[in-house]
Amino acid sequence: MPITFSNVFYTYNPKTPLENAALNGVDLTIEDGSFTAIVGRTGSGKSTMVQMINALLSPSQGEVVVNEFINAADKKKRTKKLYKVRGQVGLVFQFPEYQLFADTVEKDVAFAPKNFGLKEEEALEEAHKALREVGLDESFDKRSPFELSGGEKRRVAIAGILAFHPNILVVDEPTAGLDPRGAFQMMELFEKVHKAGTTVILVTHDMNIVLRYADRVLVVDNGKIVRSSDPETLFFEDIEKYSLETPLLYSFVKGLSKRGFPLDPGKIHDVDSLAAEIAAKKGDKR
Amino acid sequence: MKFSLGRYVPYDSLIHRIDPRAKLLAILFLMICIFFPYQSWAMTFAVDGAIFLLLVVLLYMTRTKIVDILRSLKSLWFMIIFLLLIYCLIPTTEPTFPLAFEVAAWNWRVYWDSFLQAAKILLRLMMMIELTMVLTSSTKPLDLTFALEWYMTPLKVIHFPAHEIAMIISIAIRFIPTLLEDTSRIMKSQESRGVSFSHGRISKRVVSLTSLIIPLFVSAFMRSDELANAMECRGYDPRGNRTRYRLLKAKWYDWVFLLFCAAVFGVLLWFSIDPRFNALLLFPAEVH
Ligand SMILES: Nc1ncnc2c1ncn2[C@@H]1O[C@H](COP(=O)(O)OP(=O)(O)O)[C@@H](O)[C@H]1O
Ligand SMILES: [Mg+2]
Repeated sequence: MPITFSNVFYTYNPKTPLENAALNGVDLTIEDGSFTAIVGRTGSGKSTMVQMINALLSPSQGEVVVNEFINAADKKKRTKKLYKVRGQVGLVFQFPEYQLFADTVEKDVAFAPKNFGLKEEEALEEAHKALREVGLDESFDKRSPFELSGGEKRRVAIAGILAFHPNILVVDEPTAGLDPRGAFQMMELFEKVHKAGTTVILVTHDMNIVLRYADRVLVVDNGKIVRSSDPETLFFEDIEKYSLETPLLYSFVKGLSKRGFPLDPGKIHDVDSLAAEIAAKKGDKR
Repeated sequence: MKFSLGRYVPYDSLIHRIDPRAKLLAILFLMICIFFPYQSWAMTFAVDGAIFLLLVVLLYMTRTKIVDILRSLKSLWFMIIFLLLIYCLIPTTEPTFPLAFEVAAWNWRVYWDSFLQAAKILLRLMMMIELTMVLTSSTKPLDLTFALEWYMTPLKVIHFPAHEIAMIISIAIRFIPTLLEDTSRIMKSQESRGVSFSHGRISKRVVSLTSLIIPLFVSAFMRSDELANAMECRGYDPRGNRTRYRLLKAKWYDWVFLLFCAAVFGVLLWFSIDPRFNALLLFPAEVH
């Protein structure tokens, strides 16, 4: 079942001087099996939005439906034992490396599967599989998570979520602070998880990543969804007004168009298709 | 995060604008006033009532909400019962008022005095709480530590580490919201991993708690390390002479407020000492 937000509002610290309206009427649908990117400037409400998918926050108004779970502002409409939705939605917070606590890496990764009802051995088995998936070999299993490097810690934290096989994976700025290679590996991992049938929701500031991996992009501004489209269409428009940066590939195409070499943006997704388009164009002229 | 009591509330009232040094001293004056003894019941309640009215005005001026005040008094329920019990158990030797009830078999007599005593203490406790609230809800914690440091400065002559103490207090205060934020963030990430902090078996809850406390400690230590480095990089030396970015400067209304509170203090002190006033309106039975 898809994820839907209907007219969702959220206010932090309501009825105090620190009142802060973070979401102002969000409407959206995220299809099963899609790879959706959520973009927008800092403070626009992205993290608040994704925490509702996981029922960590409940709307002040409106409702969020995830699979068979209803997270509504109205307590009567809310599903009982709403927290069970967390077994289906894996949420990886920004800087997840700060959530590690166990004395060995494998125990930390096995923590979530155990909480969701697996037995000790099964959980450990899932933990080992998840660790291999994120690219950490057996030598890491028995080490303390606190002596790892920042990038490795983050991979352990992500393995800790993948280990219980959520059918929806939500990741909040997973590549922030990683080196380009680490970021690439991280994204390839999410791509693999997505290919295996998981719905992936990715919050990011990197438009190159959005263009490369996402099939749908939602632009959030000031607590509202201001655009919802496929990346190609969005990036060919003027997106500076949302504080978004045009991906490299598209600035290149736009630059070429300006200099009298127009290309059809709908056909360009990556370097290969760009090369093909240019070749085709040159062929025409000859 | 829930809005906690006594926390600084950023309004712009007259009370908010008063110099923290003047405010601290003035509130201290009022606080002492609350506990002056008087001989007659009539004077006790008349003066307490007057201070109470003054407090209401101050609370109104700081724009404290009624619900916040009521919430701050909620925990007093236990005190009420406890005080009543204590005062009923302590025998009154020279009662002013008639007998309230008696259990002849245990030779136990309770006079109305006991209830009045309990009421007096309760009223005074309540006023203490509200007075503290006036101070803390209208003064930024950092300003309060500035004020404390200012008052402690003369003690530097005897090598009292006034600046260090003030620095420690202000850092601690500065990091309370940060730690609360960390706590809520870590709780949320562990809840995403299937932890429930509110229900479950005891053994499970212990694990839940360690999954919160360990990351919290790790991040607190990391922060303190970073802070220490950052301070050293900027050449922090606790013994150094330093100027201040925000200079506190007393204005006329600081003096007015301070003098007013000092006057209240003076008058009430006089009332409490001078037998012509503190025994005003004595009940006949109060004359021994
Ligand atoms: N725990 C919180 N308490 C109060 N305000 C918050 C809290 N978390 C976020 N906010 C505020 O809500 C708004 C949206 O924040 P957030 O959802 O984190 O944005 P984003 O993830 O897009 O940067 C911001 O104005 C932020 O200051
Ligand atoms: Mg965010």
